[in-house]
Amino acid sequence: MDALNLALELVLMPLVAFVVGLFMVLMMRRIAARIQRRVGPPLLQPLYDIVKLYGKQTQISHGLVHDIGIVMAVGGYVAAETLLPVPGMDGLADRGGLITLAYLMMIPSLGLALGVGQCANPNGSIGIARALTAMLAYDIPFVIVIFGVAWHYGTTNLADIIALQQAAGPGGWGAATMPLLALAGLFSVHAMLGKQPFEIYVAPAEIATGPMVEMGGKFLGGLFVMQCFQFYTAGVLYVSLFLGGGENWLTFLVKAFAVVAIPMCIAFLFPRYRTEDLLKMIWKWPVLLGLAGLWLIMH
Amino acid sequence: MTLLDLLLLLSLATGVLVWLLGRWSGAGVLAALLYAGQFALLGAMDGSAAASPTFQVLGQTIAWSLDPFGRFFAFITLGAAIVSAWFMAGEWGRRYTQAGHNLRALHGALAVNVLAMLLLLASTDLVSLFIGWELVSWAGFLLMAQGGAAAVRAALRYVTYAMGGAMAILGGTVLAYAWTGTLDLGLLAERLPALDADQLWLLVALFTGGFGVKMGLLPFHLWQAPAYAEAPGPGTAFLGAISSRMGLFAIALVLARLVTLEGLDGLRILPGQFGVRDLLAWVAAFTIVLPTFTALKQNDARYLLAWHGIGQGGYMLMGLVVGDAMGSAGGLMHVFNHATYQAALFLSVYAVIHRTGTADLNRLGGLVVRMPLSFLTMLVGIIGLAGLPPMNGFVSKWLIYRSLMTEGMPLLFVASVIGTLGTILSVYKLIHNTFLGQLRSEHEHIREAPWSMTGPMLALCVIVFVTGTAPGLALGWVADAQAALGLPVLSYTLGGVASARGGLDMLWIVGVLFGGFGVGALLFYGGGGRSRRVHQLDNYAGGHFLSADVRYQYSDNFYAGLMHRIGPLYRNAFSWLESALVSAVDLAALAMQGVYRQQAPALFLLMTAVAGLAWVVL
Repeated sequence: MDALNLALELVLMPLVAFVVGLFMVLMMRRIAARIQRRVGPPLLQPLYDIVKLYGKQTQISHGLVHDIGIVMAVGGYVAAETLLPVPGMDGLADRGGLITLAYLMMIPSLGLALGVGQCANPNGSIGIARALTAMLAYDIPFVIVIFGVAWHYGTTNLADIIALQQAAGPGGWGAATMPLLALAGLFSVHAMLGKQPFEIYVAPAEIATGPMVEMGGKFLGGLFVMQCFQFYTAGVLYVSLFLGGGENWLTFLVKAFAVVAIPMCIAFLFPRYRTEDLLKMIWKWPVLLGLAGLWLIMH
Repeated sequence: MTLLDLLLLLSLATGVLVWLLGRWSGAGVLAALLYAGQFALLGAMDGSAAASPTFQVLGQTIAWSLDPFGRFFAFITLGAAIVSAWFMAGEWGRRYTQAGHNLRALHGALAVNVLAMLLLLASTDLVSLFIGWELVSWAGFLLMAQGGAAAVRAALRYVTYAMGGAMAILGGTVLAYAWTGTLDLGLLAERLPALDADQLWLLVALFTGGFGVKMGLLPFHLWQAPAYAEAPGPGTAFLGAISSRMGLFAIALVLARLVTLEGLDGLRILPGQFGVRDLLAWVAAFTIVLPTFTALKQNDARYLLAWHGIGQGGYMLMGLVVGDAMGSAGGLMHVFNHATYQAALFLSVYAVIHRTGTADLNRLGGLVVRMPLSFLTMLVGIIGLAGLPPMNGFVSKWLIYRSLMTEGMPLLFVASVIGTLGTILSVYKLIHNTFLGQLRSEHEHIREAPWSMTGPMLALCVIVFVTGTAPGLALGWVADAQAALGLPVLSYTLGGVASARGGLDMLWIVGVLFGGFGVGALLFYGGGGRSRRVHQLDNYAGGHFLSADVRYQYSDNFYAGLMHRIGPLYRNAFSWLESALVSAVDLAALAMQGVYRQQAPALFLLMTAVAGLAWVVL
């Protein structure tokens, strides 16, 4: 692969991720609206929101680390997207692999945690304590799933994992050969997205008392951008692990949107778990499912 | 005169010089330069370097020689000594003297530690190994006991453990000599496979248990955190960086070179499935998880880091026991990585103590604006400790994870990741409670630590980052060490590992990561309205403005939700076990005392005489 081609991919992959992510946010809001018998926002509403937040007149910064937190939150995902193959573009998939991707996905959380920390608002710190606790919860089934898939296909290179699934056809997709792991993965994707019933650490409904308390203007705008990336990353990673990746852009997008739609449809039917119940729930069912799935594929 | 002779002589001279000149204000700089000289001598060595002095015990030649495996540890030891001496060369040392402590003794103890470690690392037979081991143990005690009453208590507890370990090692040495007729490590490696399984079992148990004490392997870990945390500043950094790794060095020597991993495979606990190697891997896994979650509960920054030091030792053993090229390289590289970021973390904590007088995580906060360089050091250090890209801790953990995946060990893999996640939680608490959140009004006017302290801290940061971005720089040493131990050797590139089944190229990863940060910065600073920066103490909560005298820092019981769930699992079982053991020994001693003091002195005399005669006769 020539250098120019790679450079183009490194620019295009995050860009595609952002645009697709915007539509995923739109889809989330539309689903919520339909369940609540509303019409829902228009097509470009997520973009309007970001522009509006960036353009706000009052932008309060609590210091350099507050700013850098937002930079890290967005930048970590921009980097992660280059490790996540899309149809026709593998980016850096062969230089990083699954483990690196999983750890790069923690960088935005750490950045957000640092930024919120500098705001010196106890509500923010409590929110971060809950967010990191939730990460400890959902990452355990997540790494079980990653181990299972990597072991099954004998590689940590996502491009190879996708190629192996596509060569075997839909019957050889991860979801067909490792159904229990696929189910556990869906659980952890749901929790990773911070949707009900696992949304206590995002606390979107109580912005004045949750972790976002000191985030206004482009700080919130940056987090909005991060959310777009987050939806995309979680959806596409799941598609790559279990649904054979994308043969072409059409099937790729259909699968990715479908994966993100599942947690959304479930989410708005649920109230919220407290942190300790969230831990209990995730450490019980998805972990059990994941371990059972591992046992099945390894024996 | 060989290079090793020169090195040991210079090390000895360092000890004498810093002891003689310890009161002079330039002693710290001199010590750092002398350690740097030793470092240079080490760098000039090639292959195995032997020392000239030898002597005879039981017809066996006792000698010293430094091979690439020992040299790998020696480099780290001297590096840790350089930064520790540099840190105490300026204002820290002056303040230490003014507070009535003996800086000369601290310098001397550090130099003795380095010499003892070099001797241990250069051992070629079981006797020189044991001599080095004892020297290291007592030198460690010298360094630990200088921090006041609590430190002496902790150091005495350490010595008790260390003596127990040393007895096990001595027992192992005697048995090995009795069964094979040699003390030389090279000959032992040839003759040990001829022993039967029971004998090998006993040797592995004695040596691993004995050396494991120093390393803080479960269940012998209780002494380590207080002993390290209570030592004086740079002493803590040195101990935390390298001291307990001497245990790993010796374990690796016995397991990988003498018994060999194939030999270990022959030792089964349950027929079929579970062997000694699995047992060791699980000991490593528990050593990762339990101390990490103990660290999570600490409210003193020094204790928190010291507990993590125990946990990270588990990763090193885990990698070594998995034993393939990637795993053992990861385990060995983690020794280097851990030394660099752990020293940086301890030094930044001591910089904070230097300015604020406390390491209590409930009495700090908001220092980032006052001490930005210390904050930067701690940030780099915690990213390394948590094992996230782009710091070097990520690379070694990646290698270990990758080898666990290749070898198909899911539960150990999950245990390692749980350790990493617990570390992330714990280190965020550390940096949040120290540098983020509310600034206390009494800290409003403190300054950054002086350059004599921030200098070594920043130097360590550079090493942590550079060896994370270009791990090939450190993997060269690691590969040499692997070859010297007889382990499969990792084929590496400057950026990491090339593998058809999923490799790692940190040069690219760090490149895109910083490219991503660049995009993020462009979006943030280039787009949208200008942000207005408010003063750190200009804050409100719940609709009320807060003034600096209201304490609202969220620090205590930081992970309340998590503790609600896992809190009941903290049962202090090991402390309970330790105190039960102490009580039992107490009781036995009391009973003995009762017998010979009050009840029947004659009977006691008779018993002792009979026992003594029996020992002589048999």
